[in-house]
Amino acid sequence: MGSQIKKISVHFPESILTNEYLEKEFGRWEADKITNKIGIKIRHQVQKDETASDIALIAAEKVLENENRNEVDALIYCTQSPDYFLPATACILQEKLKLNNNCAAFDFNQGCSGYIYGLAIAKSFISSGIAKKVLLITAETYTKYINNKDLANKTIFGDAATATIIEVNNIERIHEFILGTDGSGCNNLIVKNGAAKNKYDEKATEYQTDSGDIYTDNNLYMNGPEIFNFTIEAVPKAVNECLAKNSLTLEDVDYFVFHQANKFMIDYLRKKIKIPIEKFYSNMLYTGNTVSSTIPIALSDILHNKILQKDSKVLLCGFGVGYSWGATIINI
Amino acid sequence: MTKNDFIKDLLECCDLTISNPTGETLLQEIEGYDSLAIMTMIAYIDENFGVKLTGKDFSELTTIDSLIEKIGKDLITID
Repeated sequence: MGSQIKKISVHFPESILTNEYLEKEFGRWEADKITNKIGIKIRHQVQKDETASDIALIAAEKVLENENRNEVDALIYCTQSPDYFLPATACILQEKLKLNNNCAAFDFNQGCSGYIYGLAIAKSFISSGIAKKVLLITAETYTKYINNKDLANKTIFGDAATATIIEVNNIERIHEFILGTDGSGCNNLIVKNGAAKNKYDEKATEYQTDSGDIYTDNNLYMNGPEIFNFTIEAVPKAVNECLAKNSLTLEDVDYFVFHQANKFMIDYLRKKIKIPIEKFYSNMLYTGNTVSSTIPIALSDILHNKILQKDSKVLLCGFGVGYSWGATIINI
Repeated sequence: MTKNDFIKDLLECCDLTISNPTGETLLQEIEGYDSLAIMTMIAYIDENFGVKLTGKDFSELTTIDSLIEKIGKDLITID
């Protein structure tokens, strides 16, 4: 018994942050430099009273249009911005989406590798007979974690939610996975305060990076150079392992969709892995890095704009916070 | 690659500017030297010399000469 991606919907909050605003506010990087180097013109931001589950709900409602909701037998929610410590936000979404009481619902905490993990879980549920139709939701609001005086992270991250329906299929269209972890990098992309280890601290000390960005332990901290080093080491290896596990060569793959971290990083990875530019997706201009949502946003773009022919083989690779990574091959 | 070529190429590839750069130029004094520039420099050095420098390496570097030392003097001719 196989599985396939049936539909993907995306949702972006209305409020946007432009490069022109960042140039005016910080005076460090020109708007054009951000566009050319980072590959982002605008990023979306939720309102203060809006949470990841609010935008997740909108994305899920869109994908469930014309679907029989009673058929959804698992709701998997990927976020690092849960509404509460408990219950799982997926349970709240199950009720709001009016899904069946026989529907499994749970959260999992992953960032940029999250969509690959979600597909792996969905495929496992389907192949084991636990579920026939899975709703995989990704939603992230990193902008809430970022210090107002942190230009580097404000430039990169945007908020978004996506919803994907994965269903049982006679032919397998979601192929073999590789998943990996290196927890030694956990401190290089982290929000230290607010959970069980360290309480949120109103009087947290402000730190300044070498570049002049300000953050406290209540905020998202990212060591950009270390994350870059991790990716140039881990991603080429993950791609090769994924190809080997699927008995494919680089040439056999029609298209590559990587986590859209930033343009400079993924362009460098493409060159390092020797992927032809015409086979490589790179587009975060109007979204920014939306963490676990970048890959489904890319897939939605590919599907809606008919960028690929039916049955094309696409390699997906997610990587980041954790460190955590994953890759798989799908037929689109 | 000679040292002068290296300095010229590095600054150009990484969008960095400073007048009359030499080996003694302090990295912190170069216009545009920030986390984005460091990421670009890590890529440049990985691509051209096959040497992986970390963020920690960069925090310990002072001058362009100290960067050359870190990459390995045998890879860049000191003229």
